[in-house]
Amino acid sequence: MRAAQPQAMTSKATRFNADKILSICCVAVPLTGLFLFFLYPMAIVFLRSITTPDGSYGIENYLEVLTSSGFWRATRHSMSMGITTTALSVCLGFIIAHGLHRCAFRGKRLIRAAIALPLLAPSLVQGLGLIFLLGRNGVVSRLTGVEIDIYGFWGLLMANTLYALPQAVMIIGASLVLLDARTYEAAESIGASPSRQFRDLTVPAVIFALLNTAFVVFIITITDFGNAAVIGGDYSVLATEIYTQVIGLRNFNMGAVVGILLLLPTVISYYIERRAMKRQQGQFAADIQKYTPSFTALRDIPMAIVCYAIIAAILAVIGIVIYASFVKLWPYNFDLTFKHYNITLAGGYSSLWITVVISLMAAAGGTFLIFIMALGLRRLPAKAAQAIQVLAAMPAAVPGIVLGLAYILTFNSTATPLYLLYGTAVLIAVVNFYHYHTQAFLTVMTGFRQFPLALEEAATTLGAGMARTAIDIVSPFVAPMLISVFFFLFMRSMVTLSAVVFLTTPKLNVAAVTIMRLDDAGLTSQAAAFSTCIMAVVCLAMALMRAILSIATPKPIPMSEA
Amino acid sequence: MYLTVRNAIKRYGAFTALNDVSISLEQGEFVCLLGPSGCGKTTLLRIIAGLTGIDSGEVTLEGKAITNLPARQRDFGIVFQSYSLFPNMNVAENIGYGLKIRKASAEQIASRVTELLEMIKLPHVANKLPGQLSGGQQQRIALARAIAVNPRLLLLDEPLSALDAKVRSSLRDEIKQLQRTLEIPTLMVTHDQEEALALADKVICMNHGVVVQSGSPRELYNKPATRFVADFMGISNLIETDRIRSVMPDLLEDRPSASDEQLIACLRPEHIKASADPNGLATVCSVNFLGNLTRLSLESPLGPLTVETNGIESFNEGQKVILEIEPSACTWVVNDTAEVLA
Repeated sequence: MRAAQPQAMTSKATRFNADKILSICCVAVPLTGLFLFFLYPMAIVFLRSITTPDGSYGIENYLEVLTSSGFWRATRHSMSMGITTTALSVCLGFIIAHGLHRCAFRGKRLIRAAIALPLLAPSLVQGLGLIFLLGRNGVVSRLTGVEIDIYGFWGLLMANTLYALPQAVMIIGASLVLLDARTYEAAESIGASPSRQFRDLTVPAVIFALLNTAFVVFIITITDFGNAAVIGGDYSVLATEIYTQVIGLRNFNMGAVVGILLLLPTVISYYIERRAMKRQQGQFAADIQKYTPSFTALRDIPMAIVCYAIIAAILAVIGIVIYASFVKLWPYNFDLTFKHYNITLAGGYSSLWITVVISLMAAAGGTFLIFIMALGLRRLPAKAAQAIQVLAAMPAAVPGIVLGLAYILTFNSTATPLYLLYGTAVLIAVVNFYHYHTQAFLTVMTGFRQFPLALEEAATTLGAGMARTAIDIVSPFVAPMLISVFFFLFMRSMVTLSAVVFLTTPKLNVAAVTIMRLDDAGLTSQAAAFSTCIMAVVCLAMALMRAILSIATPKPIPMSEA
Repeated sequence: MYLTVRNAIKRYGAFTALNDVSISLEQGEFVCLLGPSGCGKTTLLRIIAGLTGIDSGEVTLEGKAITNLPARQRDFGIVFQSYSLFPNMNVAENIGYGLKIRKASAEQIASRVTELLEMIKLPHVANKLPGQLSGGQQQRIALARAIAVNPRLLLLDEPLSALDAKVRSSLRDEIKQLQRTLEIPTLMVTHDQEEALALADKVICMNHGVVVQSGSPRELYNKPATRFVADFMGISNLIETDRIRSVMPDLLEDRPSASDEQLIACLRPEHIKASADPNGLATVCSVNFLGNLTRLSLESPLGPLTVETNGIESFNEGQKVILEIEPSACTWVVNDTAEVLA
């Protein structure tokens, strides 16, 4: 082996250069994507927002929007909707998270499963469900005879809260899990009462998570389009205002102005949220003694009732959509039938299958791009890597509807060869990927951060090149993370509406838009049937992910002496 | 010289990790880099491995500069403190990985793996995953993985620090035996002076990014050059010159000429003989019975002293003792201003 050394030297040296080129490509390719499909379209939105009707640049559009009463009404609505939904979701989210992690009662698995349901459905399903429940022809008004006007503020508030709740529970729950049982045992032995423990230990520990939740929910709410479109009625919000300007009035530049103005609160919220996250990261402890609550009737019975009630509401709203899809003539004839599954709208189920293909493309391509980017970032100088990470985390600050608008402005223009992408499934896959780029990227980076550098160095010292290390050592380690990201991108792409609503064409439609069209056309039961189909696909994907992960996750390595 | 590092300088921003360090290693030699954390020893090892770049200076192997040769082309073996076995590969795959990269045949790999597993006395674990093994076993596998490719240099980065005391000493003996049998030139980083004394042919003692002293373990223990080395290598009583002059002028015999502040006396605890005497000037402050020896803390005209005795005589707190010290046992060391580290 040693004798072969000198001859091997030259060929190895060229392979080393190949490593350098490879690591540059690993960063350059995804980075080009970010520039072309995120920064460039965003720049176009901005330019279009300051393009006046005569083609010159100026702030006339802004003046026009800012002096229109419609814009201010939509802004007022968006803000009050955002604040109310945030307050409600943080409260309910905290109750459920506290119930799940710090109280003792049965049925937690059911609660966990039910709370995640809204994430598995297009956001307009909440709206649809509420209409079946509380609308003019809803169950409640049929049973009680009370006329409820669900369209507008209250309906939208309920729909948005249901939609934001899973995220709230997840973020708050994650901080409650970090509370060490020993801290409470210490407090107990000092003589602190349960209510004191709650005030002095629990609340200070989760305060950042609550803040964080508030910002996340606020962003979700003011940027959501699906619920507002279905149940908002006359209650116009900024997201629907953009849609009206662009689709209704064909006024692209005005839409761009509203889009840029909608960016302001989301970018600010996102920035504050990221700062708060950084502060919270210091709180992570290496080994946490899990807290196991014991039953306390006074605390647990009321908590259980409230949690069950919230879950019941979620299940009712989603369940009724599924039920309604099988009912002959809502709400007059409750005989069961499959006839609504015969979609009469042009295209039928084709949009569902196209969406599956698009979602697979977004998931596979996106996971691959993010993986090679994370791989390449490890070999970049710290400063450059940091700058790229900031860029990669930016898309989360952009509402889907604004990103969609940016895409139509950019790709529906014959000015560049990018026009070729317009109207293709690929472009929709691309917009979905960049819409959810941040979450996917952060997940993979977390996985990479847990990857011990020494493993890579051991492989390098043994003579492995970059590609070899990536395949043999790194990818098995981060595989569970990549699988999660793949399915995350797939499931989000299946249900998202806001970013794709502008990019569908008569020839190319996606599933969530079909639901909206069916609902617009008054075919509510068919909309319910179509929603049920999407949920079935997503739940199937979820089950598949669980199964794969349980196989792929390696057993934890005990570091202790045997 | 087999391996040399000349005038290595490495900075991290304002912090200088290595400040003009030169070391060398002979064919077949076992060298320990010893020093407290942050002294630059690991940086030096990583530079030799090619895992960290160097600001200026040169690394040569068998007379050829390898300063800019990438780590994967150096043909070195490395063992980390954290075992760092590939968790997705079983033991045999881990050990054979370097050979696989070198495109050895499956039979060659299999026979080499078997041979190595015999050598590290773990013949039956070939199909286990790293997670199923104890820390000591994992570190043995990591060692086998490193030597499987007949490395030109074996690098050990605190290989024993994560293990508990019993496993540590048995693995220490095994490393020594393997190294002597295979005659692989080896460089080990450690902060444990006992490990360095037990294993090394040569110890290189570092502090604040410079080499303070290098030599055989015996030299470093018996003739420490500076106060830092005296203090880092075992326990020592460090006494200022004027005290010695007024209390035990005999000990000044071998003192090189230098100002009072420049040199300081170093007395090892086992070189001070204490015996009970009601007229003694020293008083026993505390007695630590350690089994094979007894460690005494004394208050004496020389100041506070630590004395070790393995005699049968027992001492009590408050007892008066007289002290005897052979002049040859006193070493004069440079009083570097470095902070005192236990």
